[in-house]
Amino acid sequence: MIAVIDINISNIGSVMEAFQRIGLKTHLTSAAADVAKADAIILPGVGSFRDGMARLGELGLVEPLRSAASAGKPIFGICLGMQLMAETGEEFGTHKGLGLLPGSVVRLPEEPTVRIPNIGWCDVEPTRKSTLFPEDAPTRSFYFVHSYHLMPSDPKITSAVVKTGKSDIVAAIEHKNLSAVQFHPEKSQDAGLDLLGRLAAKVGAFA
Amino acid sequence: MPAWICWGVWPPKWEHSLSMYARRDISRPRLIPCLLLKNGLIVRSNLFKTHQVIGNPMATIRRFSNWNVDELVLLDISDKDYHDLRRDDFPVSYRGTGILDVLREVAKVSFMPLTIGGRVRTLDDISLRLANGADKVAINAQAVHQPQFIVDGAERFGSQCIVVSIDALKKPDGSHEVYTDDGKTATGLDPAAWAREVEKLGAGEIFLNSIDRDGTAQGYDLELVRAVTSAVKIPVIACGGVGSYDDFATGITAGASAVAAANIFHFFEISYPLAKKACIDAGVPMRAVGLDSKWLHREPKYDVAAEDARLATRLEQAKKGDFPAARPEAAARRRVIRWCKKCVYPSLGAAPMEFDADGVCMGCRMSEAKRTIPPEEWEKRKAQLVKILETNKSKDGSRYDCVIAVSGGKDSYFQTHVIKNVLGYNPLLVTYDGNNWTPTGWHNLMRMSEAFGVDHIICRPSITTLKKLNRLGFTIMGDMNWHAHVGINTAPVRAAVQNKVPVVIWGEHGYMDLSGQFSMNDFPEMSYRQRLEHFGRGYEWTYMVGREGLTAGDMIPFQYPTDQEIYDLNLRGIYIGNYIYWEANDHTRAMIEMYDFKVNEEPFDRTYRRMSNLDDMHENGVHDYLKWIKFGYGRCTDHACKDIRSGQMGRGQAISLVEKYDPVKPRDIYRWLEYAGMTMEEFDSIADTFRDPRVWRWENGQWAKDSIR
Repeated sequence: MIAVIDINISNIGSVMEAFQRIGLKTHLTSAAADVAKADAIILPGVGSFRDGMARLGELGLVEPLRSAASAGKPIFGICLGMQLMAETGEEFGTHKGLGLLPGSVVRLPEEPTVRIPNIGWCDVEPTRKSTLFPEDAPTRSFYFVHSYHLMPSDPKITSAVVKTGKSDIVAAIEHKNLSAVQFHPEKSQDAGLDLLGRLAAKVGAFA
Repeated sequence: MPAWICWGVWPPKWEHSLSMYARRDISRPRLIPCLLLKNGLIVRSNLFKTHQVIGNPMATIRRFSNWNVDELVLLDISDKDYHDLRRDDFPVSYRGTGILDVLREVAKVSFMPLTIGGRVRTLDDISLRLANGADKVAINAQAVHQPQFIVDGAERFGSQCIVVSIDALKKPDGSHEVYTDDGKTATGLDPAAWAREVEKLGAGEIFLNSIDRDGTAQGYDLELVRAVTSAVKIPVIACGGVGSYDDFATGITAGASAVAAANIFHFFEISYPLAKKACIDAGVPMRAVGLDSKWLHREPKYDVAAEDARLATRLEQAKKGDFPAARPEAAARRRVIRWCKKCVYPSLGAAPMEFDADGVCMGCRMSEAKRTIPPEEWEKRKAQLVKILETNKSKDGSRYDCVIAVSGGKDSYFQTHVIKNVLGYNPLLVTYDGNNWTPTGWHNLMRMSEAFGVDHIICRPSITTLKKLNRLGFTIMGDMNWHAHVGINTAPVRAAVQNKVPVVIWGEHGYMDLSGQFSMNDFPEMSYRQRLEHFGRGYEWTYMVGREGLTAGDMIPFQYPTDQEIYDLNLRGIYIGNYIYWEANDHTRAMIEMYDFKVNEEPFDRTYRRMSNLDDMHENGVHDYLKWIKFGYGRCTDHACKDIRSGQMGRGQAISLVEKYDPVKPRDIYRWLEYAGMTMEEFDSIADTFRDPRVWRWENGQWAKDSIR
C-alpha cells in the first residue's frame, strides 16, 4: 500500500488526481496505523513549516514517519513535505522538523531586486543521474510556489537545482530511500506527470 | 515543427536586470488564462457589468490542460452557491450545486496551478478549496473588510497560497481607487498603498484587475500595473483589457510577474499557444509553447461502461414510460422561465443566453450594438477582412485563396458573392452532405459552381454510416443531426488543411447572432472548443466508435485536424458577419435578384420563414421538434427573435407565430422514421425522456409548460 499523508492543509485534491492520472494506486490517510503498514509513503504539502509540523504532531505521525524512514521504506516529499523532512525550519520561528534529511529550511535569499515568494516555472537542472532525473530526461520547467527552501548540510544528496545566478535553489533531493522535490510535480503539466511516472515505476514495485 | 519548442536561456544573470530598481523573479514570466464562472458557466465580462455565457468550464479547461498552460485562475462571480448548466443533454455535468463541485471536476483535468477566487471569507473556505483541487485562493472583499484574515490565512496555509485580488478603477482625475463586490463598492483605498499593506499582512501574490479596462480590448492599464508592481516585492498578476496577443508583453515590461486575460482566450483557435508564441517572439522568456499533452489528449476519452449504462437507463425509461420530467421529485427542479422583454427568447434554452438587469437578453443587446455601428466603421471592418484575405491568399495560384464553408443556402450565396465577386478572390467551396436535402436546397447547392464560377467539393459520408449516426444521435442526445453539426464544422477545416489553405470563411457566428454570446469587437473565430461543446454537445467522434459497429475509419469525415496541423498552417476560420453587415432578410432578396436563388416553394411546418435551412429538411423539422420537446421552444422562436431585433416584426405578432408553430410535429418525421428504422411510438417515448424538468410538467395526463409572457 502506498500511503499519501493528508495533513489537512495541503492541496490534496490535486495530488490525488495526478496519481490517478498516471495510474498509481494510492491510499489517502491521516492515520498513524496506515503509515506503519504502508510500503511507501508520499508526503505532499502546501502551508507553513510551523503548522505542518504541528499537524503531524497532532495526528501522531512524527514517530511513525521516522520509523518508516529508518526501516528503509521509500518516502517522497513534495514542497512543504520535502521541507518537513529536514532537521529544522525557520518559518514563523525556528521549529524542529522530522529530521530525515540533513539540513535546514531557510528563507530564500533576500535580494532587493528579487520577488519573494518564488511563484512560477523554473528550469530544473539535474546535478547527477538519478531516478527522478535519468540521463535522458531533458531540462524542463517545473512549477514552484515557495518562500523557503531546504539547504542540505550534505550537498551530495541534491539531485537537481534551479540556477539563479548567485546561489542555487535545491529542487530535488534523492538520498537512499528518501526523495523529495521543492516544486509541485502534480501541477507541472507533462513535465511533472512524467516525473511522477518515473517515481511510480520505482515505488510501484513496493505496492 | 516539434510540439515543444525551446527558446533562449532563462533566467538571465541577476546582474543583467533591466535596471537596478527593477525587481525580477527567479521563475519565468507566466501567461494565465482567467475564467469567470457564474452559476457554473463561463461568462465573458464587460466592465464588470454585462455577462455573456461562453459555455461549460470543463470544455475550456480540458483545452488549457492539453496545451500545458502555465497556470489558471478561476473567479466565481455567482452571488450564491447555485449553478445551472442549462442543458441536460450534455455529457458534462457536476454533482451538487456549488463551486466546490465544479472544482472537483476541474481538478480531474487540471495538472496546472489553479487559483480560485470568489466568496472566500473564512479559513474553512480556504481549506475546502484546497482540499478540492485549488492550489491558491484569491481573496478580494474579505481582505478589505477584515485584514486580519490575510494574516490568519498566511499563517495557516502559507503566504504562497494567499493571493489578494485587487479591482481598481481609474477615476476622472487620473488617480486609481480599489473597489470590492464586483466593482460595486468604493473603498477609498489607493491600489499601490493597499498592495503594500496586504504584502505586509502576509499576502504572497497580487491579482490586479482594471475595472474600466475589463472587456474593452484596449490593453492593460500600464500606469496601474507600474504603480502596484513597484510598490511591492511579491509577484503581481496583471489582468483586464487585453485586446490582442501583443498586449501581454507590455504587462511584463511594466513589471508584472504574470499576465492574465479572460475574454481573448475564448475568441480564437489555439488561442493560448498563439498568445504564448507572440510573447516569446517579443522576447519575453516564457515557458515553451505546448500543443498536445501526452497525459490529456484533446479528444476526450469516455467512460464507455458508464455511458452504456446511461443509455440503457434512458431506453429502459422510454420502454416503461417512466419519464424523469414526469416524476413527482422533478417538481423541485422546476424553474420560473422568463422571456426577454424585447424579443421572445426564453431564459432557459439550447443556446448560451444571459439576460441583463433590465430583463433584456444579450441577443437583443448585441443586435442593438451591431445596428449602431456606423457605415464608416463597417468600411474599416471590410478593410480588415481584405487584409486577412490579402495576407493569406495564394501568391502563385498553386492553391486556393481561401475555403468557404457552404450549404447552398442564402448565407452561402452571400459569402461567395462577397469573396469572389466583390473582393475578387479565388475560393474553394466545401460542403458537408448529410443526405437530408430539400429539393430546393439541393438545386441551390448544385448551381453554385456555375452561378459563381468557382470550384466546389462535397464531402459525402457513407449513407450506411449516416443512418447509424442518425439513430445514435437521437437515442444518445436527442438530436439526430449531431452528424450534421459536427460534419459541417469539420469538413471545411479538413479540406483547408489538405489543400494547405490558411483561411476558412464561415457566415454568421450563430450564437453571436442568436444569443449575443460575443460582442462586436471580439471578432470570434472558429475553434475546436466551440465545435465540440456547442455543435457536438460534448460528444466527439470518438464517442461513436464501437457503437452500431462504427469504426474510426467510418468516422474520418468527422475527424478534426490536429492542433499541430492548425498551428503549422496558421489556420484561422473567420466569420464574415463580423466584417460585413449581415441581415438575413436583405441578403436573401439580393441573392434572389442577382443569382436566382430559390426559396422553398412549400412553407415549412415549424416556421414562417421560407429562406432558412433548405440544406436539411430535419433541421427545421424533426430536429427542431426535439428542441421543443427538450426546452419548450423551437425555430420559430429563433426566427421571430431575429425579425423583432431587425425591426421587421412586433412582439405581439411574434408571440402568436411562436404559439402556432413551436408545438407542431412536422411531416418530415415520416421520412426520418423510415430512414432510421424506428416507429413513431419508439420515437415519442425516447423523445419524452429528454424533456427538461425545469420546463415541463406532467399535468392531468399530458405535458404542460408555461406560456410566453
